[in-house]
Amino acid sequence: MEYIALVLFVCVCGVLLLGYPVALSLAGTSLLFAGVGILFGGFDASYLSAMPSRLYGILTNTTLIAVPLFVFMGVLLEKSKIAEQLLLSMAQLLSGRVPAGMAVSVILVGMLLAASTGIVGATVVTMGLLSLPSLMKKGYSPELSSGLICATGTLGQIIPPSIALVLLGDVLSNAYQQAQLNMGIFSPESVSVGDLFVGALIPGLLLVAMYLIYVVASAWLNKQSEQSDSEQKQPIALGSLLSALVPPLLLIIIVLGAIISGSATPTEASGVGAFGALVLAILKRTLSWQQFQQVLIETTKITSMVFLILIGASIFSLVFRGFGGEELIQSFFATLPGGAIGAMLVVMLVVFLLGFILDFIEITFVVVPIVAPVLLMMGLDPVWLGIMLAVNLQTSFLTPPFGFALFYLRGVAPNVIHTAQIYRGVVPFIIIQLILLVILFVWPELATFLPDKIY
Amino acid sequence: MSANISDAIDTLNSTIAKVASFGLLLMTLITFAIVVFRYGFDTGWIALQESVMYLHGFVFMLGAAYTLREDGHVRVDIFYRKFSDRSKALVNILGTLLLLMPVCVFVFTVSWGYVSNSWQLLEASKEAGGLPLVFLLKSLIPAFSLLLFLQGLADVIRNIVFIQEEALE
Repeated sequence: MEYIALVLFVCVCGVLLLGYPVALSLAGTSLLFAGVGILFGGFDASYLSAMPSRLYGILTNTTLIAVPLFVFMGVLLEKSKIAEQLLLSMAQLLSGRVPAGMAVSVILVGMLLAASTGIVGATVVTMGLLSLPSLMKKGYSPELSSGLICATGTLGQIIPPSIALVLLGDVLSNAYQQAQLNMGIFSPESVSVGDLFVGALIPGLLLVAMYLIYVVASAWLNKQSEQSDSEQKQPIALGSLLSALVPPLLLIIIVLGAIISGSATPTEASGVGAFGALVLAILKRTLSWQQFQQVLIETTKITSMVFLILIGASIFSLVFRGFGGEELIQSFFATLPGGAIGAMLVVMLVVFLLGFILDFIEITFVVVPIVAPVLLMMGLDPVWLGIMLAVNLQTSFLTPPFGFALFYLRGVAPNVIHTAQIYRGVVPFIIIQLILLVILFVWPELATFLPDKIY
Repeated sequence: MSANISDAIDTLNSTIAKVASFGLLLMTLITFAIVVFRYGFDTGWIALQESVMYLHGFVFMLGAAYTLREDGHVRVDIFYRKFSDRSKALVNILGTLLLLMPVCVFVFTVSWGYVSNSWQLLEASKEAGGLPLVFLLKSLIPAFSLLLFLQGLADVIRNIVFIQEEALE
């Protein structure tokens, strides 16, 4: 009967392509399979009776409370134009003063926005609207400009505190417990969202460093100097510069510092971050009451979207398990050559391919709970696995033709930039991502060193 | 007449979502207060922490139907994006009837006994000092599926009207 689990997975993918909302496609198709299985035998209906307590488990999951709070913080910083001013001031500070200054400032602000909002769409759209025209004006090619914006926009996936890492951390901690119980370890160790945040720090910064090296080197190789325009000759107004740069920087440092020092849980840090963003928005007075209500509604929509997928995925995973899908995966991995490493390579490849059609949320909730326990039972480190998955998923955001970052940029880029130019522009950045994956594969310590040190 | 039904459902769900969205503001303020109490005064209350959890549940469970109305639930839109408006309407009608509605009916019926048990006991938190309102938290599950079902109904009505009108032209 186990092959039915595989048929279920294939059918779900087929239904998803029709374009009905993912969460309901997952849940509906799975229930249909379960119904047929109950009628004709092969599926034990008692699996489904676990559903209410599963849903209650989602309701009472305290780790995931960090998700709406981080989203709230990000939407607030975006809508109150704090993010925008950060970008403009940084560009003013750096351009003409360091080589490839404009590109460097796009990367640095992208990193900061990633650390503060962690929403890929919002970052790419903000950066695309604000910095694409200025990059082009400074004489950067359309390819480099658009590739740069897409790539830095996806940094929100990997730079903590990212929502992707919160979700991944929660799923991995369950998988890790399950793996150890299956192995007969009854006082299991745990892995937390905080571990993943800390683990992602060095790989994230490494990625930013590689982006920087690339843009500076390519500017130098092409003997390309930024075309200066009259506005940059103006002296910098120090006061307005500081007021644009310091508050959001301080906020990011507080949030990250609280998590990394190990004193606050991610949920507490997200509450402080959201509160800080609220205070900043009030002080800026750029947000009307109506706009503030808009921020609340926007955050509610994003939160409901994420959690409905979690609900849909939990129905899918119950049915998948009911049909014996887990044993299927386990026996498949056991037949692979190369043990844990072979299995890991296959998983990374599958996740990369799925990333063409699915968002990171779906992959985290649907695929990771199926494969992670098996991989962890083979002895892989949970933090390392999490960071590898996060970098991999981030890459899939960039990969043509279906990368989400590309869509977002296409939506705001002027028509003089061809889609083919955007695709060509991201290629060097995809290569950088793959280099990082190889580096992490060879030196797992880059991800695991800091968490071991701190916790 | 049918348009009235879908408009009424829209109004119901958007009102609920607007009220629920203020839960986010409360969550932020309470979480910040928890942090201040914990690190500043070394004290804390389970009830306060649980109230954040309750608010969180309220926001996403009661916001889900409105999010459907606003087309905020992610789709895999590789092909969907290129569909004609009529094909999109058909996908949404079939999806709602075959996927959304069965899921809502399933969640509602399977959670009914679970929730009514909790009401009979007026179930309270297992933690000492926790909120005595677990039955309310659990009630979000049938409420969520009911509201989502209604929004699906509104969606189907609207899409059928759309297809009919297009056929007339």
